[in-house]
Amino acid sequence: MKNNLWNILKKELRELFRDKKSLAMMLIIPIFIPLLVIGMSALFEAQVSKDVSEYNKIGFAYEMSEIEKSIAEEMNIEIINGNEEELKQKYDEGEIDLYITKQDNKYVINTDGSDNSTFASGLMETYFNTYKQYLQQSYLQENSINPDEVLSIITVEENVLEQDNYFANYIKNYAFLFIMMAITVSATYPATDTTAGERERGTLETLLTFPIKSKDIIIGKFLGVTVSSIITGIISLILAIIALMVTKNMFSIYEGVDTMFSPITIIFAVIVIIAYSFFISGLCIAIASTSKTFKEAQSALTPLTFISFFPGMIAFMMGITTTPILSIVPFINFTLIFTDINNGTIDVWNILLMAISTIIYISLVFAYIIKQYKSEKVLFAK
Amino acid sequence: MIKVEHVTKKFVRNKTKREKEEFYADKDISFEAKKGEIIGILGPNGAGKTTLLRMIAGILEPTEGKITFDELDYKHNEIEIKQKIAYLSGNTKIYDTLSTYELLKMCCDIYGISKDESEKRIKEITDVLKIESFLYNKIANLSTGQTQKVNLARCLVHHPQYYILDEATTGLDIISSQIILNFIKEERDKGKTILYSTHYMEEAENICNRVIMINKGEIIKTGTPEEIKKDTNTTNLRDAFFTMIGGVSNEE
Repeated sequence: MKNNLWNILKKELRELFRDKKSLAMMLIIPIFIPLLVIGMSALFEAQVSKDVSEYNKIGFAYEMSEIEKSIAEEMNIEIINGNEEELKQKYDEGEIDLYITKQDNKYVINTDGSDNSTFASGLMETYFNTYKQYLQQSYLQENSINPDEVLSIITVEENVLEQDNYFANYIKNYAFLFIMMAITVSATYPATDTTAGERERGTLETLLTFPIKSKDIIIGKFLGVTVSSIITGIISLILAIIALMVTKNMFSIYEGVDTMFSPITIIFAVIVIIAYSFFISGLCIAIASTSKTFKEAQSALTPLTFISFFPGMIAFMMGITTTPILSIVPFINFTLIFTDINNGTIDVWNILLMAISTIIYISLVFAYIIKQYKSEKVLFAK
Repeated sequence: MIKVEHVTKKFVRNKTKREKEEFYADKDISFEAKKGEIIGILGPNGAGKTTLLRMIAGILEPTEGKITFDELDYKHNEIEIKQKIAYLSGNTKIYDTLSTYELLKMCCDIYGISKDESEKRIKEITDVLKIESFLYNKIANLSTGQTQKVNLARCLVHHPQYYILDEATTGLDIISSQIILNFIKEERDKGKTILYSTHYMEEAENICNRVIMINKGEIIKTGTPEEIKKDTNTTNLRDAFFTMIGGVSNEE
């Protein structure tokens, strides 16, 4: 009798591990994380290390001087001559990456901002800077002025204090966001099954006739869903770390970026996974238990998948960092702290605030669900 | 003794798409069920039998009135009462991903029965209900009759004092029904209290000591089957029921 919470948890876990759909949600979803990490790495790598031969076909709608031709040749630019209409047609047909028109001393780079054009634009900016510098030097020399005195009045040097790789960090942070999404998806199915599903199958009535306190029923169910979420989270974390270690050796975008996670980082990541699993499982059970049917519960829970992902993504894109206040805002707090851990800036105070606020939220959700399970509403919903 | 005092259950239902209305599933129901008695709760579909038995089993809460088991009520002694009762309905389902043995073991654990005692009780129940041939089969793979036997079996593990049986034989073949009816009589003879709801009047006439007839949520007659037949000047409970409600109209 005293162990009825354990009996309910045992029942829930047995059902969870025997149900193919729950198992698939729990174990298959994490597999997508390494695929996404590898896919994103390959995509960014392709962007960063694009060979000049892929975007060097440039149309010139005017007669180029010898010096212009020589700069173009030096920069490996393939010159395609023609009038403006011919070049536009070639551009539309994809034969050239962009074309240049000229009116007096004004050069216009004609492009549409597509992927190849952007790279070609960059190439042509360098080309015109070189040409402009040549013209300036020639002018100064013709007027008996030392070009170095004018052109090198100031010098600018870049001193890279710390190697920061945008793409690699972007992928690392996204890998953690995907872990949160995987946990959410993994919690929704068992939460639906154990509440609305159990009601629909008619077994809830049987359960309510047993000498078990409502509190034990709901905590047992909640822990069952949480176990499923934690398993998904841990598998996802392991796969994300392995994927990042593997991709570091495969792609140059990870140059100078440490993809090895220290034991402390991993421990904190696990703490966030556990806290988030408790939070999302409680929320899923609360929402699903108010739904009449399994289908209705699934529809009600679908937005949670997006809610778990988007605030974090937006915060990440806007460069928002963790503050004590943001540490208590649900959803966003987990993502921001995850990002901090990922970047090696662990703030124990913020983690503590996140943990305390999560306990408060779960308690509120619990009070609501227990109240529901004490009344007959749970049998009939709404 | 089960004592039901002035129990009323009110629900809210949709009258139209936007309008709601209150209706009484049960209204001012009172009766007592003593040790060694089978009380038949009779009435047509929608009479309020299931709601009444759900309230007695502690699944639903009465809107008004009181239900006590040997002076214990659900408000203060829910767990103690549920330790003593067995609720079996034709509608309630059991966990079909489990085998019969696993279900019985789970029930033993829930009722706090020790490991050795559990094995002993499962063996006893298996012999009484003759379920050994499918003891280790998944419940999902059993026939309706076999499933209902398993459902009955799970009610027995804790040696209940009170049985609340709601349409327990519905959908069963005559052999399976007879096994359950024989079992009910045997339990009555052991001094157990049994509330038995059915819309099969003949079945009730055969096994019930007393009968409570319900129609539209209200008790229309109580007494022994013999008393009811005598009072209504009929030869069976079916005719007695129709006599009391004044025949069948299309509205019914």
